Order: sequence, then C-alpha cells, then structure tokens
Amino acid sequence: MKLSACLTALFGAILFMLPAAAAPVDAGHARVELISERDAALPGETIYAALKMDLDNGWHVYWLNAGDAGLPPQLIAQPGSDIEADAIGKIVWPLPHLLPVVEGEIMDYGYNNEVVFPFPITIPEDAMGPVTLDVMADYLICEDTCVPEQAHVKLKLETDQSAANTRDGELIGKWIAKSDVPFPGEARVLKKNLDWTLSLRLDGGFGKVHSIRFFPFGHDILHPAAQPVELGRHGATLSLSAADITAVSKPLEGVVVIEQEDGTRTGYEISAAEGSPLPDTSGLGPAGGMAGLQVAAWKLILLAILGGLILNLMPCVLPVLSMKAFGMVSAVSGGHAGEVRRHGIWYTAGVLVSFGVLAAIIVALRAATGPVTLGFQLQNAPVVAILVLVMFAVGLWLMGMFELGTSLQNLGSGLADRDGDAGAFFTGVLAAVVGSPCVGPFLGAALGAVMGHSAPVVFTFFLAMGFGLALPFLVLSFVPNLYKLLPRPGKWMDTLKQFFAFPMFLTAAWLAKVLGDLAGSGAVAWTATGAVAIAFAAWLWQREARLPRILAVVTLALSVFGVAERAMAPAPALGASSAYAAKYEAEPWSAGRVQSLVAEGRPVFIDFTASWCATCQVNKATTLKSRAVHDFFAANDVAFLVADFTRKDPAIAAELARHQRAGVPMYLWYPAGSDVPQVLPEILNQGLVTSLPLTP
Amino acid sequence: MITINRRNLSLAAGMAAAVALTAGALIASTAQADSGLPIGRPAPDFTTMDSNGDPVSLSDFAGRTVVLEWTNEGCPFVRKHYAQPPGNMQGLQADADADGTVWLTVISSAPGKQGHVDGAAANQWAEEHDASPAHVLLDPDGTLGRLYQAKTTPHMYIIGPKGQVAYQGAIDSVASANVADIASATNYVREALTSLSAAEPIGVSSTKPYGCSVKY
Repeated sequence: MKLSACLTALFGAILFMLPAAAAPVDAGHARVELISERDAALPGETIYAALKMDLDNGWHVYWLNAGDAGLPPQLIAQPGSDIEADAIGKIVWPLPHLLPVVEGEIMDYGYNNEVVFPFPITIPEDAMGPVTLDVMADYLICEDTCVPEQAHVKLKLETDQSAANTRDGELIGKWIAKSDVPFPGEARVLKKNLDWTLSLRLDGGFGKVHSIRFFPFGHDILHPAAQPVELGRHGATLSLSAADITAVSKPLEGVVVIEQEDGTRTGYEISAAEGSPLPDTSGLGPAGGMAGLQVAAWKLILLAILGGLILNLMPCVLPVLSMKAFGMVSAVSGGHAGEVRRHGIWYTAGVLVSFGVLAAIIVALRAATGPVTLGFQLQNAPVVAILVLVMFAVGLWLMGMFELGTSLQNLGSGLADRDGDAGAFFTGVLAAVVGSPCVGPFLGAALGAVMGHSAPVVFTFFLAMGFGLALPFLVLSFVPNLYKLLPRPGKWMDTLKQFFAFPMFLTAAWLAKVLGDLAGSGAVAWTATGAVAIAFAAWLWQREARLPRILAVVTLALSVFGVAERAMAPAPALGASSAYAAKYEAEPWSAGRVQSLVAEGRPVFIDFTASWCATCQVNKATTLKSRAVHDFFAANDVAFLVADFTRKDPAIAAELARHQRAGVPMYLWYPAGSDVPQVLPEILNQGLVTSLPLTP
Repeated sequence: MITINRRNLSLAAGMAAAVALTAGALIASTAQADSGLPIGRPAPDFTTMDSNGDPVSLSDFAGRTVVLEWTNEGCPFVRKHYAQPPGNMQGLQADADADGTVWLTVISSAPGKQGHVDGAAANQWAEEHDASPAHVLLDPDGTLGRLYQAKTTPHMYIIGPKGQVAYQGAIDSVASANVADIASATNYVREALTSLSAAEPIGVSSTKPYGCSVKY
C-alpha cells in the first residue's frame, strides 16, 4: 500500500471521528439533519445545502407530487435564520419511487430508507462572521398510518473563506445526480378519451431498458394504473390512463424515470404537447428482457411454428382434433385419397384464417386499449356461452341426433360426407379458437416478445403459429404412405363417431365452469337452457315436416341470442380473491404482498392461473395439489400465492407482460430473500417443484 | 385441388361475418369504463349499515342534499378538521343539519387497520367530538369507499337534491395537517353547499382530495 493511500485512509478516519456539526434531530420516525457542500462560504455565494432524512424501516416520505394521498416535505425558514426564505432555493427532488398503498387502487410517489433533498442557498452579501440556516422541516411520514412530523434543524456556516466539506458535498452531488434533467428529446401525448399515449423520442433510444414509468406533476392521470411500455429504435411509448376527460388542452408534464437492466435510474423532465406519436418510438416490443434487441424474424417464425405444433398436444385442442381425425378416417375409408388432401388444405386454411383474424383483433385491440393478452376471448362471457352451445351442438351431431345435409347450417360438420371441405375449414377455425388460450411452453415467451411488434410482424407470427397447428394434418394428408397407418373402415366408425361426442360434452362442461366463474350461476343456467333449446330444435328437425322445421330454426336462433344476451359478465372486481385461492391455503397475489414476503425472507411460489386454462388445471391436479408439493411448501415455509386471471385483471396482465408472457400458466419462484423470480416451465411436475432452490 | 364453389364461398363469408361480429363484441366489451365520479352525473345508490345497525340507503334521502365524509379517527388530517377549536368539521355538520342537508360520515377502514371501529365505538367517538352526522356508516369491506372511489380521509362528496354528484374532493384549499391553516383556507364544501341552497352553479366542483389514504 502506498504511503499516500495510507494517509488518505487515516485522514478519512479522522474526519469520521470528528463530531458532526450538528447531530441529527430524531423527530419520531426519521432522523433529520441539514448538511452542506461547504463548511465555509463567501458572502454572496450560492451553494448547495440539503435536508438529509434517515427514515424508519417501512416508513416513507413523499415526492413533490405525493400521488393519491400524502404531502411533500416543506422547509419553513424560521425567524432567527440569517439565510432568509427568499435566499433558500427550490428543492432538487430526487427521482421518486412507486409506493403502492392499496394495490391497483391507491398509489403514492416518494422515498423509503434514506433520502437527501438538496436545495441552493445564497449567503447574505453583508455576512460578517458565521451565518446560520435555521429551518423547520415539516413533513408527513407514513407507513400504514401517517404522522405529520416537524424537525427543527440548523446549519452553521463560516463566511471568512471558502472551504469544502468533501463528505457531505459528495453525498449531495450524488443525490443531485439522482434528480431529473430536462429531456433532450421530444415528447408528445395523444389523447383518445381516457387512453393516452405518451411517446418519447430520443436519438439512439434508451438502451437496455428494464422499465419506464411516468410520474406526473399533476393529477391528470390515474396514479395506480399500469403503464405498459413499448420500446422503439429511437425512444419509447407509454400507455397512460387519464383521470378524467378535460376539455382544456394543456401539455402533460412530469418526470419519466427509466430504469436500466443494471438497476441505474435516469429521469427526464418532460412537457408533452398534444399530437400524434413520434416516429420510431415503438415497434421493438415491451420493455424488459427482450428490450433493445430485435429477435431475428426467422427465429420468431420458427418459434411460432413450434408453438403451433405444441398446441396440438394441448388438452383443449384435442377434442377438435379428434373430430378432424375422425373425418380423415372416414374419408380415406371411402377411398377418397384426394379428398383427404383437400381436407388437409381446407383445415389449414381454416386455421390460418382464424389466426389471421386473431392477429387482426389483437392489433385492433392493442390500438384501442393498449396491451392485450391471449385467452381474452375466454374472458368474455357471451363468447364463452356461445362456445358452450357450439360444443354441445357438435356433440349432439356426433351422437347422431341430427344429420347435416348440404345446407348452410352445415357448420362444423360434413366431415364424413363428400362436401367435407367446409367442415374441414370449420374444424380448423374451431381448433384455432379453442386452442389459442392454451399457450404452450415456447409460445408464452415468444408471444411476449411479439406482442409489442409492428402489425405485419404480429400477423406473420400468428400465421406461422397457425401453420404449426395445422402441420401434422397437412403432412398426414399429403404423405400417401401415412394413409396406410389409418385403420380400415367398418361399423366401428359409427361407434367412434358417437364416442367422440363425449370429449365435446366434457369441453362444454369445462367451458360452462369458466362461464360460471365469469358471469355467475345465472349465466350457466341460461346457457344450459339454451343447450336444451338446441336439443329440442334438433328433435323438431327430425320430424321432417315444414312447420316443425321452421319452429326448430326459430328455437335455435332465440336460444343462441337469448343466451348471449343474458351471459353478460359483471365487471370483475380488481384483485378479487378466487375460490381456488381459498381452497389451497393460498392467498391472492399482489405485487406488494410479494415484496413483503420477500422482505420476510420467505420463499414465494406464485401460480398465475385461470379456470379457462386447461394446462393450468392439469398442473394443479398433477403437481400443485399433490402431497409431495404440499409437504415441501409446508416444510420450508413457502408462501403460495395465486394470481387468478379468469377475469381480466390489469395488474396480472402487466405482471405477465413484465415476464414476456402473453398468457397463463406462468409460475414464478422466489428463493428465500431473493427479489428476482425464477420463471418456471409451463408444464410442471412434482420433482421439478420439490427440487426448487430454497436460497438464491 | 380446392374447389371454390358457391357453397364454400357463402360458408366462408358466414364464418367471416361471425368472426367479425365476435371481434366487434370483444372490442366493445373492452371499452374502458369511465373513471372517477363525473360531476353532474347521478350518484350511485348504496345500502350500508350505520353505527346503530340500521341499513341506510342513498335513495332514502331522495330530494335532499347529501354530504358524504370519509373519515378515520387516527388520521392526522381528520384530527386537524375535528380539532376544537375551531371545530371545522363539526361546524359544517351542524350547519348542514340546520339546512336540512343529510350528513353521512363513512368509515371504510378494514378490520385491523387504523380507524376501524364497531358501531358503539363510532357513536362514542362522535359524541366525544361533538360530531353530529345524520348517520355514521360502517364500511369495513370498503364496498362503499370503492363505489365512490374515495382515496383519502377526509374525502368529501356532495350529492345534490336531484341525486347528481355536485362536488367531490378536498374539504378545503390548503393541503396540510396543521390546524392553523384552516383559517386561511377556502372551504370548498361550505361554498358548494351555499351555492346549492341558493340554486346557483357551484364554482369549484372537483378538487384533488388530500389526507391519509383510506385504509382499505
């Protein structure tokens, strides 16, 4: 060690042993003191002092905009102060942090632990001898409860020379660096009713962004609302929720805080005029893991095809596929090899058209509402109700309750007859609609990556996924030798056809449960009534006379419309605890709850699930409900949280997006004391869960 | 190869129409609900138990002006307005009562959270503080608070005689927990009530409430 280094260390040690100019004042929940970058300053000089606060654990003070509740700290110059009120400048506010008071409902902005509020002071021109800055720090400090506190603090400065205080100066400098700077780029806000889009353009973009949050100076936006972020090559776009529609058009002002993946935070003060989004501020996907790196298109497409292939194995697609298989078997048995090929093509077309439409809906919804998650069609009660009826009707047809001729009501059938093209097409549609919520393992990550891309990429991605879904049948229908693997025809075909009704009925039963979760038992009852009406219509149809047939059509129409109209879901309660959570000694998920559990040092397992997600149900049955897993959780004091996505929940959607997932299931594992979760595979097994690392 | 005949075409068209309708329904269903309580719109009705165990509904007071006051006895901002002197909140309550205005004090603190009380304790608190609300409503599960999107204690709402939301927000113009600030503040609730009883338009009808967060 060099001598100079030794001396520096010694000098530092001596500095630390010197009594501080003034001991901090303990006002109750915070130790408060004034510090300065100088021990001595010349008359007329402007220097930086700061209010340094050391807060009790779990307590917080507020930013200049406190958010939904709270007040920012104030400095009130006292009568005896040599440096008077007009010589005390404005506080340089450090970048705020989010303080979720009630998850999704009340959001505050402020600081925990230690915070330093720098502010400039001007030494009086006529200062002779030491001067004193004498202020009352008046602040509201809150944990769960709030306490207004006051700390009377003083700072004494010599004025005979200029002498730096290196330790405090460095600290103040560090905190000034934690404040916002004017935005070197350009900001615009597009106001569509209550959905505002804030676009931030900066040449070269923001780098490896982990998250971006806009902290308003006013109350023009809803503080607790999530702010989905999409990155672009030269900036980013944030989706904000406006607090109310104001006729007055004024610029949106506040601070944008950008957190890099290495944890560094940068803040820019912006003033966004109204206008269309700026170019290149979107198109690179959401902020987070994939941010800043454009996944090669061919990789995405390969992933999509792979994901589509895996969809074939998903429990909720299988019934549809069994229908398809049956159609192929019957066609080949009738000696229609060409027909099988046509079926394959029509089926593929049906899948592709549906996926194209799905992509269109997603792009349209994204434009209208911000990010969208897969499976949303199963969060819409009327859609689910109609799906129940469709499944039930197909089941009836398979049972032989009615024959479908060549008329237009030939939807979803005609698999076995010569005009099977439409049937094949519709089977493809059905496979796609029912299969999309079952996000396969690769699909989850890939979809998260693609969700923020431009519309053409989203379309290509979805079409590739559809192609993957249709591929097995396409191959089967084009490779002649594979026919030979298909069994020969016979009476068993009718039996098989009838047997396939049961998967359809089971699917209908499962969808009815989803509907019950969404819209209550009343909607299920109405849907069951609709199903009875369909059965009645099928029975009337068998009469073969005109009047009963007209009646049948009328009954059918009334049942479908009646059910759809009555199956309206009530608005989902935010953060509603689920029945599932109650049954499994689990508690509902919230980001705040996770934080506090992590702080307690407990390992946390989070199950992002939904009653309409079949993969989730399988995992629940095989793994999460098992004794081995239960014992493992109990023995290691694991907190088991459930995020129920059966109904739309923006907080859960945001959390899924944060991990580049577009749907459930998602399983997060926080080892004890770690605040960085491990994202587990989407298909769980007991061994996987019981061998999770307990420590990071 | 694929034969494009009329039947297939009409079938595809039917499918497309069905999908388009579904898409329309989906887009319509995701349209966001309005946020906040828009001034001038009908106030949502509710039925909540009061501190004496009787159900109280907004519709009970049709044709009268109703004030809703969110409170939490432990909150310093509430204490500021109940401090005697000047007895700011009590004065408002007494004047409202004299005017035939119904004053409902709401406690939305969840069990185990600051300010959560049972009926007897709520009545005792009102008596000790000379408070004279028509009813103290107990909302431990936060249903009423969330219905009205109450954020702070105090958070004030005035519902006009036609059942419309006439005012929402802070009690006055100086956001602090300091009793001394009451004298210099503009009391928005008093101003709005005065305008209402004179059948004049209300000058300031919506402000940012200040106080502690409601302890849901």
